[in-house]
Amino acid sequence: MSEHTDGARERLGRAQAGLLACLVAGAPAPAGFDPERLQLQARALRAKRADIVAEVAPELPEILGTDVFRRLFHAYAARCPLRDNHRWDALDFAGFALERGRLARRERRTLKRWLRHRLGPAPR
Amino acid sequence: MDRLGTGIGWRPEIAEGVEALPDIDWVEVVAENICPGHLPDSLRRLRARGTVIVPHGVALGLGGAERPDPGRLAALAERAEALGAPLVSEHIAFVRAGGAGTGLPPTEAGHLLPVPRTRDALDVLCENVRIAQDSLPVPLAVENIAALFGWPGEEMSEGAFLSELVERTGVRLLIDVANLHTNHVNRGEDPCAALDRLPWEALAYVHVAGGVERDGVWHDSHGHPVTRPVLEVLEQLCARAVPPGVLLERDENFPPVARLAAELDAIRAVVEAARV
Repeated sequence: MSEHTDGARERLGRAQAGLLACLVAGAPAPAGFDPERLQLQARALRAKRADIVAEVAPELPEILGTDVFRRLFHAYAARCPLRDNHRWDALDFAGFALERGRLARRERRTLKRWLRHRLGPAPR
Repeated sequence: MDRLGTGIGWRPEIAEGVEALPDIDWVEVVAENICPGHLPDSLRRLRARGTVIVPHGVALGLGGAERPDPGRLAALAERAEALGAPLVSEHIAFVRAGGAGTGLPPTEAGHLLPVPRTRDALDVLCENVRIAQDSLPVPLAVENIAALFGWPGEEMSEGAFLSELVERTGVRLLIDVANLHTNHVNRGEDPCAALDRLPWEALAYVHVAGGVERDGVWHDSHGHPVTRPVLEVLEQLCARAVPPGVLLERDENFPPVARLAAELDAIRAVVEAARV
């Protein structure tokens, strides 16, 4: 059954982790890659993440406005890699927006209320 | 290989439109987006009228360095059974990395990333595919993905990589012609060179999707119309094999259903022209 893939898994794991750290956590591009293309891929991953968060929590772009949501989300995603599922991502992002988003009082209040409501019952 | 016919990716946003489309033989659903105990009414109606439903996974990460997670595999198997699916599909991609042995924290990519076409990656992929096959109640098909970048030091072409994967595992292939076009624009890889190497008896079905070119880079957006160059890759494929199924994917920026119907007609025309 075992194909002795342990060595291959270790080498592949290191290469993939190094690349992913560059794409989602701001690490430098690993040797041999086209850095411009990796930047493009990193942006695409952040945009995809923003799309999914907007899908699982459509209230967020509603509360913040689409443009502010996108801008803040890219700032958030560049700092905080996706650690679990997109529902948690939406909550983490809301926390980031409250802390760093310099929101108007009304948006702050609505977003706080939304976050409290979402954190209330244990998310699935 | 079972004939599937012409299909479309079922998405909640276009559920009504998909039900109204004429001559849809089958649909694909994103496996992670449905709950087997609570299928959307639209899918239940489609099933009741005999439309085949195939779960399409996006989160297994068969090309990752870790063995596929038993929980995720069980979830995919459960969906295949709940839908009465004749097969399931996934991607040749990695979607997470880090953790034990890498010195980096476990991290999710949130989307599909290309695996390096190396001996190491192929050995790992083959074992992962076999583990998945052992846990699934129906055959597995795996899809070639679209890439914005290539890995340095690759040892094999896409065609050689896919054909050896099939030879070693008996896995079936889901060939995405838009992804072959993407890799043509973004990595300079000739789609025909890949098509010439493929083991056609393993072909399960074909994906077609729209995208857009910006600054010399093809974005496989699934949010734009299907373009002529993508249909030309489909023509090239049909010149080599009769696909058992062809499916149109549209994931965002949804047009009126009549536009999707027209795209499906264009796809059918290509497939049928090749049969004559």
